[in-house]
Amino acid sequence: MKGIEEQIRATSSQLLATGDVQMVIGYGAGSDNTKTMPVFIKRAEDVGKLVFNPLCVSNLANYLLQWKNFEGKIAIVVKGCDSRSIIRLLQDKQIEREKIIVLGVSCPGQLKSGQAEAKIPADAVVSEAAVDNSGFKLQTSGGLITFSLDEGLLEKCRQCESSRPVISDHLFGEKGFEADKADLQFNDVAALEGAPLEEKSSYWDKYFERCLRCYACRNSCPACSCRECVFDMVEPDWVAKTVNLSDNSAFHLIRAFHVAGRCTDCGECERVCPADIPLRTLNRKIIKDIKELFGAPMPGSDLEALPALSFYAVNDPESQN
Amino acid sequence: MQRIGVFICWCGSNIGGVVDVPAVAREAAKFHGVVYSAEYKYMCSEPGQEMIVSAIKEHRLTGVVVASCSPALHELTFRKNIARAGLNPYMLEMANIREQCSWVHQHEPEKATKKAVDLVRRAVAKARKLEPLFESAIPVTKRALIIGGGIAGIQAALDIADAGNEVVIIEREPTIGGKMVLLDKTFPTLDCSACISTPKMVSAAQHPNIKIYTYAEVEEVKGYIGNFSVTIKQKARSVNSKCTGCGTCWAKCPTKNIPNEFDMGMSTRKAIYIPFPQAVPNRPVIDRERCRQFVKGKCGVCKKFCPTDAIDYEQGDEFVTENVGAILAATGYDLIDWTKIYGEYGYGKYPDVITGLHFERMVNASGPTGGKILRPSDGEQPKTIVFIKCVGSRDEAKAREYCSRACCMYTAKHAHQVLEKIPGSQVVIFYIDVRCAGKAYEEFYLKTLHEGAIYTRGRVSKIYPEGDKLIVKGADTLLGRPVEVVADLVVLATAMIPSAGSADVARTVGFTVDKDGFFQEAHPKLRPVETNTGGVFLAGACQGPKDIPDTVAQASGAAAKIIGLLSHSEIAGEPTISSVNEAICSGCLACQGICPYRAIEPKEIVERLPGKQVTRVVASVNSGLCQGCGACTVACRPGALNLKGFTNEQLLSEVDALCQ
Repeated sequence: MKGIEEQIRATSSQLLATGDVQMVIGYGAGSDNTKTMPVFIKRAEDVGKLVFNPLCVSNLANYLLQWKNFEGKIAIVVKGCDSRSIIRLLQDKQIEREKIIVLGVSCPGQLKSGQAEAKIPADAVVSEAAVDNSGFKLQTSGGLITFSLDEGLLEKCRQCESSRPVISDHLFGEKGFEADKADLQFNDVAALEGAPLEEKSSYWDKYFERCLRCYACRNSCPACSCRECVFDMVEPDWVAKTVNLSDNSAFHLIRAFHVAGRCTDCGECERVCPADIPLRTLNRKIIKDIKELFGAPMPGSDLEALPALSFYAVNDPESQN
Repeated sequence: MQRIGVFICWCGSNIGGVVDVPAVAREAAKFHGVVYSAEYKYMCSEPGQEMIVSAIKEHRLTGVVVASCSPALHELTFRKNIARAGLNPYMLEMANIREQCSWVHQHEPEKATKKAVDLVRRAVAKARKLEPLFESAIPVTKRALIIGGGIAGIQAALDIADAGNEVVIIEREPTIGGKMVLLDKTFPTLDCSACISTPKMVSAAQHPNIKIYTYAEVEEVKGYIGNFSVTIKQKARSVNSKCTGCGTCWAKCPTKNIPNEFDMGMSTRKAIYIPFPQAVPNRPVIDRERCRQFVKGKCGVCKKFCPTDAIDYEQGDEFVTENVGAILAATGYDLIDWTKIYGEYGYGKYPDVITGLHFERMVNASGPTGGKILRPSDGEQPKTIVFIKCVGSRDEAKAREYCSRACCMYTAKHAHQVLEKIPGSQVVIFYIDVRCAGKAYEEFYLKTLHEGAIYTRGRVSKIYPEGDKLIVKGADTLLGRPVEVVADLVVLATAMIPSAGSADVARTVGFTVDKDGFFQEAHPKLRPVETNTGGVFLAGACQGPKDIPDTVAQASGAAAKIIGLLSHSEIAGEPTISSVNEAICSGCLACQGICPYRAIEPKEIVERLPGKQVTRVVASVNSGLCQGCGACTVACRPGALNLKGFTNEQLLSEVDALCQ
């Protein structure tokens, strides 16, 4: 992965130096050695701050929304999964294609949260990382640390449809992680679908009950680009602001419907949730349904394929009834 | 602060016999915002209406709730009523306590009363949030566009033009006339189809108010009721307006033996041709796919012989824009291609299995056989002719579920013509039902029956050749036994389907089609000649299979509607349409894709941010196109789109009131 990191730095340096872009959004070293954090590089001499390793779990696409009025062009580092968010933002007309340069990475896989913290000593510096079929190998100042794929691989990577970015101007990394076909069948959702009603109800109640209504899921979501969110509105007061099971459930279900057909399964909502609510499962249920009902591809995987619920067609099966 | 008056109607015993109306009025008086509550036997009667007017004045009411029948019945009545008292007509909300309460809960008066109170509470909650709405004035261009120059289009054009309006007809074929000019005689009167339709074609062509584009198609439609801008693609005819129709070119043209579409391919035409001698306009076209000049790059015979220099090989497609106030779709029908579906009838392999339209051309004196009924295979006169009805119609399994309506009658007519023209002939008709609902139709059928046509109830399961005969195997389901007929000719009454390309017309103009692809009328009974798109009307078989009398009647009906629309210089625009809250709109334009009426367009606005101005895109609603369906308001996640008269705030307060 050192190679990818070096390529990102070199390309960024060139783009900044020539004035092709005025800012690069990428990953930088985090507050501790088991995390990365977003960095916003505006000068070519700062590209050394950019990193790429199996700790680059987060999706940076949402920052494009926050820099919507930035005067100039932005280059952004995206993994395969994150690249769908770029298409999401383009289809939602929140960014202009000519104002961004996509630095795509064919992603070898990312480390499960908690695993890195458990194994990497706090004072060890990660110098080199590699992922292959046998697992993760992290070269650190404290020696080689390994994780098998089973123990280390992030759940969403296991279900990865395309580790190679679906949109990019520069592509780094030759071959990304290839998921087992059996893991792409939405078996996780199907298992829950098959459960008795009471069981499903108590499953979700258990999680929704502990929602803090911090809205981190919404704030990190690239499909949430509303200028004013319905959950913040006072008039009309669509959803009560109180924190209790009933209103929390309404919040999560409405949010799921608002991203229905548009959610690209980037997994940010679940990653940022401090209450560990399995939000991906909720969104993936709708992705699965829409796939089955409309034959729609994974949202964001094709710029030309508009979200299934977003257009009127004369020959829509629904309008024939 | 709203001052709301509630008026509860007994509707005689319709409501009063079930619901305790005085009790509802007493409860309503307690609702927040209500300053006056009353009940009366018939609110819609003159004393009832007077009661509302005087209460508005006396109690300085700002909004009115009428609890009575469905708003579909009397909303307009009460809107006008409160306007008389000086209120904005849209400051009215109705609670339907008849259809949705007393009628359906007749046996539970107490619960019905409780429900009526709930429904009135809901209406009051909405009334508190009502805002005055104002109708916009839309100017009307007093011209109409008719798509399709068949008998429906021609009839409507003449009616509209005679009323003093300009009409533009677009016909994609080189001549107007449609299917009717192909036909021989028309049932039940047996008058000559061409003899009654060609004079109408000429009338249309010579009418000072009618402009005809033949060999043309609708390219694009912009605008809305009263104000359409239509781009017409005039396909290259390769013959310019200097042409006098003298006929030298098609006489001299060396490219022969092209199957003539007008005769269902049973005769031939040249590469430069008019479809038939009475074509309007009497101006040929060059079939560029077959003309030697175009295919091989050399010939030029027609150009050489043309006495008026009317041949123009360089002519390209031209685009013309016409502004009109109304559009009539009259695109007609085609016959289903049975050869792709009915293997048991030979997939079109046997030349002596033909369709009703082939028969029409054959029996027509100006047709390919000069009016003689002959077998296409050997030109011999057939003695035994089998007619099979419902080929493709009423066949849910293989083709269309519906009845094509005209086939029973034209098959009876064909049978009559066979028996008349071929002495000693035998006619066997296989049918499912004989449907002759029409003036003098049943009589015509009985006449054919008495002339000797053999009606056999049952489907034909197989046709196969044996020698120069066709063996037709079927069942007589009345006698419950198999039937086998040795036939010389088989005529299939094939299903009527929407004409090819009609879906494109619907999409281009912007209206809906039904499950079979026929154009969807706004209401099957009460608005049969209108579409759901304002200013767009329908006539003829494009709306569903029909015969000539029904088509012409519908065309005149649609014409009356269009004349009514064009008689105004301005029409009132519905105020209950969508509007955009630009502050909230993020410009994702999900609403644009979802709108069936293409009423939403992006618009740039300039916004001030700290230290700078930014331009951003928001949605905007075209008030002429918006039909107030509300699809956009649902698609918009933050609710930036709001339907006036049904705003999010109003709906939510209604829900809150009902959940109390």
